[in-house]
Amino acid sequence: MITRRLALSLPMALAAAPSAHAQAAPPLAFALNSAAGSVTIIDMKSRQPLRTEPTFREPSHWALTRDRKTLLVCDAGGNGLFMFDPRTAAPLGHRRIADPYQLGFTPDNKYLAVNALRLNFIDFYDAATLALVKRFEAGHWPSHLDFSPDSRWSFHSLQKSNSLVSIDLATLSQRWSVPVGDTPAGVLWHRGKILVCIMGARGFVEVNPENGRITRQIVTGDGAHNIFIDTRRNVLYVSNRGPGRTGLTALDPASFEILRDYPISGGPDDIGIDPQGRIWICLRFAEAVAVLDPQTGDYTTIPVGRSPHGIFLNTMLREPGLITAERI
Amino acid sequence: MNLDRLFSHLAGFMDQYLVLPVLFHLHWMAWDDLAFDWCLICVYGLFAVLVTYAVCLPLEHWRPVERWQNRKAVLVDVFYTLLNRVGVVPIVTFVLFYQAQTWSTALLVRHGFIPPTLDSLVPGLFGHPLLTFCLYALILDCADYWRHRLSHAFRWWYALHSLHHAQRQMSFWSDDRNHLLDDVIAFFWFFAIGLAIGIPPLQFPILLLGLKFIESVSHANIRLSYGPLEWLVVSPRFHRFHHGLRAAGRQSCNYASVFPIWDIIFRTADFRNEYLPTGDARAPEALVTGGYLAQQAAGLKLFCQALAKSWASLGIGRAA
Ligand SMILES: [Zn+2]
Ligand SMILES: [Zn+2]
Repeated sequence: MITRRLALSLPMALAAAPSAHAQAAPPLAFALNSAAGSVTIIDMKSRQPLRTEPTFREPSHWALTRDRKTLLVCDAGGNGLFMFDPRTAAPLGHRRIADPYQLGFTPDNKYLAVNALRLNFIDFYDAATLALVKRFEAGHWPSHLDFSPDSRWSFHSLQKSNSLVSIDLATLSQRWSVPVGDTPAGVLWHRGKILVCIMGARGFVEVNPENGRITRQIVTGDGAHNIFIDTRRNVLYVSNRGPGRTGLTALDPASFEILRDYPISGGPDDIGIDPQGRIWICLRFAEAVAVLDPQTGDYTTIPVGRSPHGIFLNTMLREPGLITAERI
Repeated sequence: MNLDRLFSHLAGFMDQYLVLPVLFHLHWMAWDDLAFDWCLICVYGLFAVLVTYAVCLPLEHWRPVERWQNRKAVLVDVFYTLLNRVGVVPIVTFVLFYQAQTWSTALLVRHGFIPPTLDSLVPGLFGHPLLTFCLYALILDCADYWRHRLSHAFRWWYALHSLHHAQRQMSFWSDDRNHLLDDVIAFFWFFAIGLAIGIPPLQFPILLLGLKFIESVSHANIRLSYGPLEWLVVSPRFHRFHHGLRAAGRQSCNYASVFPIWDIIFRTADFRNEYLPTGDARAPEALVTGGYLAQQAAGLKLFCQALAKSWASLGIGRAA
């Protein structure tokens, strides 16, 4: 059944694809099942799960190498870093590193920054060799991260210290650490500012990257967890984890005016956006990925493994520019 | 909808409408991720209790080893079970010792030791989660055999463990009847092993519950042995022998929780087909028929006395 589906979907994808190499890849979604120790590979055309690839214990987030040839998936509970071919989802091996929860390559491709949430480490690895270069112990529970596009600075939210810490990437030294609110999570560099979701509050804050001062506070919904930018359509999305009402809030990226609210149940977490603008959302409790049409607000679901956390759509490979889990 | 998905939905519902509102108002949202895991533990735990109840109750009526005048002494064991299985004790232990746990792991990582997993250590195991799970089950059961055996060997440790043995009306509820300090020791015991071999794969909660089910059934008041399979899985007969009056204290047998193979290998197995009265003749009455708090207090008192005795004998030994 599964092989037949694959056989059917492959020629279709190939026929529809123009000549460029990256576009020849069958459109696949990777859902990281954090409580099943696996990655579900979904055919984005038929919206059917094709197969699962094993990891050790707890795959949560991903990062793409700058040459776009390797997708890294981190597995905090198994102390592993898994590599996949982002075009075919073929596994390319794994490395043992300490407690990788969230990760990202610096835009200049010098370092791989890894937040080890449980161990309170912010680790910088050499992007080419994955050798540990420097370790920071800046506070409790480093969760999300982002960089300035010129690769001068990195920013990490410290979930249990209620702060945001910035590191100078030229000297690998801490620049500042500032309180930003109750349980900070998602971090996004946006138009020269840093946006940080505040889970214990009802939205996100805008922080001046120079000095760490909060310049604006924006209300979206209870338990604002992560923030994403649809770079093609220029929409900001904030996922709200509750309690109570959960969903996505769409905002104007300049004014932060709320454009629309999408109520979504089942524990929405990370998202991806496909070429048609549909939003693919991991639903932690529902063990599913939702595909939401932002025009109508309707969504359908695809069953995946237990507690899906991060999601990567390889259709992003068609787009130019920087690809990170929040810049989609 | 399969069972797994149903449990996730129930846990999600519990998280969303019961746990998160509390976390949000107490400014504890940092625990949000773990809250869902805890809800899953609760839901699975409750399911396990219900299944055990549904299976064991008819069996205990059908072929009881002992007939009791009243079941009052069983009530406290029900309380222990709910406390342990429905997630209160696991979450409290986890939260209390989270710092100690991460501190020691971070210390090892700083010195270059990154805790591995079995499937990263044993060639060919990666990608075979079921096999990996079975290997973990065997190793952890072996570790539990030694923890249990040692808890009979040291006076101070048996002072805590004797709470488990004190029950004269042993039933399928008795499995979780343990002193809190004994639970804490077990927590650190398995944490240390986790540092060496990692945690088992997470995708088989039903199998994990199956192992706990075997432990519950092994305490049940049922005249039941597994016949030719007695050596494979711990039966009510096998474990009742461990709870026999003669087996309380330093010299005991049948320590295994799930796989009797450890008793066979380490020469502590006793397969006699006898169903003995259970209990610990030396246990103070508070440990037997007291309420939860009375038992905990009595256990703590015994523990302190045993420690003092050990210290004193150490002192005398030196003086001599
Ligand atoms: Zn014992
Ligand atoms: Zn027992």
